[in-house]
Amino acid sequence: MIRKKILLLGDFSVGKTSLVRRYIDGAFDDKYLTTIGVKIAKKYFDIEGVDYELIIWDIEGSTPSKKIALGYYKGASGAICVADITRKETLEGLKEHQKIFLNENPKGKVVIAYNKSDLLSEAEKSKISLDSNTFFTSAKDDSGVEEVFLRLMRQMIV
Amino acid sequence: MKNIQAILNIVLKKDIFEYILIDKYFKIVNTSSNINKYSKEIPQMGVEIFDYLPELVGLEEEMENIFTHKEETYFLESICKEEYYVNISIDYYDENNLLILLHDITNITITSQKLLQYSNESILINNTLEKILNNQNALLFCTYENKILYSNAQFINYFCIENMIDKDVENLKIYQYMDEPCHDYDTLFEYVNKKEEYLRINNDMFIVQATSLNCSHNLFTLTKVTKLSNEIQRDLLTGAYKKTYFDSMVIKKIKQKDNFVLVVLDFDDFKVINDTYGHQVGDIVLQEFSVVVNDNIRKQDIFARWGGEEFLLLLKYQNIEDVMQQIEDLRDIIENHTFAHIKGLTVSLGVASREDNDDIHTLLQKADQALYEAKKIGKNKVVFRK
Repeated sequence: MIRKKILLLGDFSVGKTSLVRRYIDGAFDDKYLTTIGVKIAKKYFDIEGVDYELIIWDIEGSTPSKKIALGYYKGASGAICVADITRKETLEGLKEHQKIFLNENPKGKVVIAYNKSDLLSEAEKSKISLDSNTFFTSAKDDSGVEEVFLRLMRQMIV
Repeated sequence: MKNIQAILNIVLKKDIFEYILIDKYFKIVNTSSNINKYSKEIPQMGVEIFDYLPELVGLEEEMENIFTHKEETYFLESICKEEYYVNISIDYYDENNLLILLHDITNITITSQKLLQYSNESILINNTLEKILNNQNALLFCTYENKILYSNAQFINYFCIENMIDKDVENLKIYQYMDEPCHDYDTLFEYVNKKEEYLRINNDMFIVQATSLNCSHNLFTLTKVTKLSNEIQRDLLTGAYKKTYFDSMVIKKIKQKDNFVLVVLDFDDFKVINDTYGHQVGDIVLQEFSVVVNDNIRKQDIFARWGGEEFLLLLKYQNIEDVMQQIEDLRDIIENHTFAHIKGLTVSLGVASREDNDDIHTLLQKADQALYEAKKIGKNKVVFRK
């Protein structure tokens, strides 16, 4: 079995923990509880006959006064950079999260999740252009969650 | 040495630390007795450490390095394991083994989490409030010690301010646009706190309101009413103010004991224009005349239509000679202006200055009397009455 470590990165309260919870347990709770440090979750899957164990690091969100400890980045094969689509500042922070991740893991892969997309209308969504590595996600209505993880996995095993 | 051992025994007894020993193949060779509490999976001897501590996946290279560089160590902080939080450190133990220490930091982490939760929620509330303020149509700003401390997006856009830290903001003295003599934000607050006031910035009219926040900060709201105010207060044909608005401004200036003159302007022989060119051209002339006057008065001057071809001006002054010169210049400009449909136009102007016992009626009477004299002495004249 091949083990892969991935990180969920983003500013605080963008919904990283909710994405993991939706992906792993298929559940959602809209009560906000700040993550501190790191919580690990595991997911097993099979791609083309090969067994993989995905080690998902749900890392506490960065705040203006507290950045993420660099030790967490070590040995990661990929990252999902998450932003809250309704908070402009979290979208602006995405580049910084990607930059730090790729500095620590130059061969790492990155995908982007524009989370809480259930709060946008279809018309609002249509104004935002997405590339193949960027997804609208909503842990609340379970849209785009599976897709964003799957995309990252496929990127990592290519 | 005995003392250190004793301390270590106490520390270990209190379950602050647990340990795992692993070999060069990352397989578990020994653990402390309470290690089970950190995972549902019981660490079995001979099993890869990654089954028990998936947090170490990806660190294989770093762990191998510790065997060759004994002084190296690896540290992971605040890892959530079941209901506990631990710091994990990996150190050299001997030539065949690494020591993994799990330090229980649950109590301190939970306290930190509460603080972080509180702080993050505060930031979110702050962001939400800021969004609400930025979505207001009114211009909002908050002052402290007579300086603008905060303003919403509408305010920033209106005054084309890019950076609130910019020194220009400190020089943005909104109170200077007031008709009332306000010399700082505190006096502006005192003035508008009692009742709503109008404030004119360039061509826009705002209603100003003020609220005290925590006794130290003052919040000002400027609601743009230009369109509404234009509809209510402006004459539809000429765009000049209506007499009612003019009267209210005169009353206000009298109350404030401002030095000002009231001017009555009347077209000379307007009947001839109407008879010669028709009433439609007469209306166009009235409009053109209003544009000429508006273009040649100061921003703070009030220009109104009294009715027919009679207009009013309210001009504040510091020096009466200067304002009289301004009126004479205006007469001259009108006389020399080329109107589109008529050969030319002159006006007679009656001027009255506010004296201590004047009210609006006496002032209008004096100006009207002066106008009568201007007509009498040959028209196209300015006559002044104290």
